[in-house]
Amino acid sequence: MSIELETELGGEFGDERGLRRFLLGTLGVAGFVALWWVASLFNPSYVLPAPTAVAETFVGELQSGAMTTALVQSITHWLPGTVVGTTLGVALGVTLAWSDLADDVAAPLVRVLRPVPPLALIGFAIAWIGINDGGAAFIIAAGAFWINYYAAYGGVDSVSDEFLDVGRSLGVTSDIGLVRKVVLPAASPEIITGIRTGIGRCWMLIIAAEIFGVPGIGRKILTASNNLAVDVVIAYILLMSLVYLVLDTGVEAVQNRVLAWR
Amino acid sequence: MTVAGVSKTYEGDAGPVRALDDVSFEVEDGEFVCIVGPSGCGKTTLFRIIGGLEGATNGDVLLSGEPVTGPSPDLGIVFQEYHLFPWRSVRGNVAFGLEQLGMAAGERRDRVDEMLELVGLGGSGDSYPSRLSGGMKQRVAIARALAVDPELLLMDEPFGSVDAQTRDMLHRELLDVWGETEKTVLFVTHDVEEAVKLADRIVVMTPGPGSVREVVDVELARPRSRTDEAFAAYQEQVLDLIRE
Repeated sequence: MSIELETELGGEFGDERGLRRFLLGTLGVAGFVALWWVASLFNPSYVLPAPTAVAETFVGELQSGAMTTALVQSITHWLPGTVVGTTLGVALGVTLAWSDLADDVAAPLVRVLRPVPPLALIGFAIAWIGINDGGAAFIIAAGAFWINYYAAYGGVDSVSDEFLDVGRSLGVTSDIGLVRKVVLPAASPEIITGIRTGIGRCWMLIIAAEIFGVPGIGRKILTASNNLAVDVVIAYILLMSLVYLVLDTGVEAVQNRVLAWR
Repeated sequence: MTVAGVSKTYEGDAGPVRALDDVSFEVEDGEFVCIVGPSGCGKTTLFRIIGGLEGATNGDVLLSGEPVTGPSPDLGIVFQEYHLFPWRSVRGNVAFGLEQLGMAAGERRDRVDEMLELVGLGGSGDSYPSRLSGGMKQRVAIARALAVDPELLLMDEPFGSVDAQTRDMLHRELLDVWGETEKTVLFVTHDVEEAVKLADRIVVMTPGPGSVREVVDVELARPRSRTDEAFAAYQEQVLDLIRE
C-alpha cells in the first residue's frame, strides 16, 4: 500500500523516498562491514576473519565449484521436503478447520505433536529413512508442516459464515464446492503467507537437516566450524542468505500478484 | 410467497429463546413488501428463515407453493454488509451464480453486462470490491443476486451502511430496477420512513418474540415524497403500531 502511495504522490517525491531508503540501507551495510573490519584487526582469523578474507574464500569456493555442488545438494532435499510438508500442512489445516468431526478427532493429537521441534525428529529420520536426502527431507517437511497447518487452519476458520451463506444461496450445494469456490479463495491470504514463511523457515532448517551427515551447505558450515575455518563458515552463511533473499523476493512477487485484490 | 405460522426457538445462554411466534403473511408476485420492526423483533431471523439459511422450529415458508428447505438461487439475498467476494472482480462476483448454473462463458458475459447496465455499473466491471464505495458495492450485491433470476429478492437492511444521500439515490435506483425487472421484493428495515417510501405493503412486527402486528397497505403513488401529508400519515400509523 505504501509503495502505491509513493508513486501516487508524484514521480519525484516517490523516487526521493525510495532513493533515500536505498542510500540509508547501503550506509548501514557499509557501516557494519567497517565495524567488522576494525574488529577483525584485533582478533585472530579463527575467531573473526577480515571481510576481505571472507570475500576471497567466497570467490574461491565459487570458482572451484564447491559452492554450486553444495547448493545443489541442499536443494535436493530442501525442495521435496518443503513441497511435501507444505502440501500436507495446508491439506490438513483446511480439512480440520472445515470439518468439526475431523477436528474433534485430531485435536488432542495436534496438541501433543505440535511442540516437537524438527531437530528432535532426527532420530526417527535416521531410523525410518536413513542418512540420506530422504532423511533430510523428512526433517525439512516437519518444519514446513506446522507453519502451513496453522496458517491454513486459521485462514479457513476465520472465513465468515456470511460468505458461505452467499455461496449457498447462489447455488453452491456441496461441501467440496464451497471449499473450492469460497473457503479457499477467502483463506488464500493466510495460506499464502504461511507458504511464504514456511519456505524461508525450511531453507534455514537445512543446517539441522544435514547435521547427521547429509551433504549440503549446512554440512559445509558444520565441518568448517569444527575445523575453525571461520571464513568458510561466514562465506557459506552468506550464500544461505543470498539464496533466502532470492527465494523470499520471488515468493513475495507471486504473493503480491495473486493477492492483488486486497 | 407464503409465510405460514413460522415460529423459531433457539438455545440461548440462559435457556430457550423464542425469537419468532407464529408469523404469517403473504406476498404477491411483483409486490414490494417491507418488514418493519424494532430491534430484537426477530426480523433478521425471519429474513434468514425465508431465505433458507435457517430452519423454522414450526411452520413453513412456501415459494410458489413449494416449501423452502434451503438456500437457492430462487431466493436472491442482499445483506447489509454486502459480502462481496473480495478476490473476484465486480464481473466475477456477478458471474458467480451463473457459473454455478453452468452457463456458457459467452452467455455469462452478456448476462453480466446486462446486470451491470441495470444497476448503473456499466464501466466498473473490472474493478475489485476493495476499491469500491459502499453504494457501488451494494449495487454489485444486487446485480449478483438478480443475475440468477430469482423468484424473490430478499434484502436485509441493505442501505444501513451508507450515508443518507447515497441511500436516497439507491432507493430511487432500486425502485427503477424493481420496475424494470418486475421482481417480488421483500425488504427488511427498522427505518419506518424508508418502508413507507418503498413498499406496497408493510408488515409491522412486534418486539420479541416477534409476530405480525398488522400489515399496512401503502396506497401512495410513486414517486413518493416524504413531505407529503399522506406520507407522514402512513409513517405515524406505522410508528404507532410499533410503539403499542
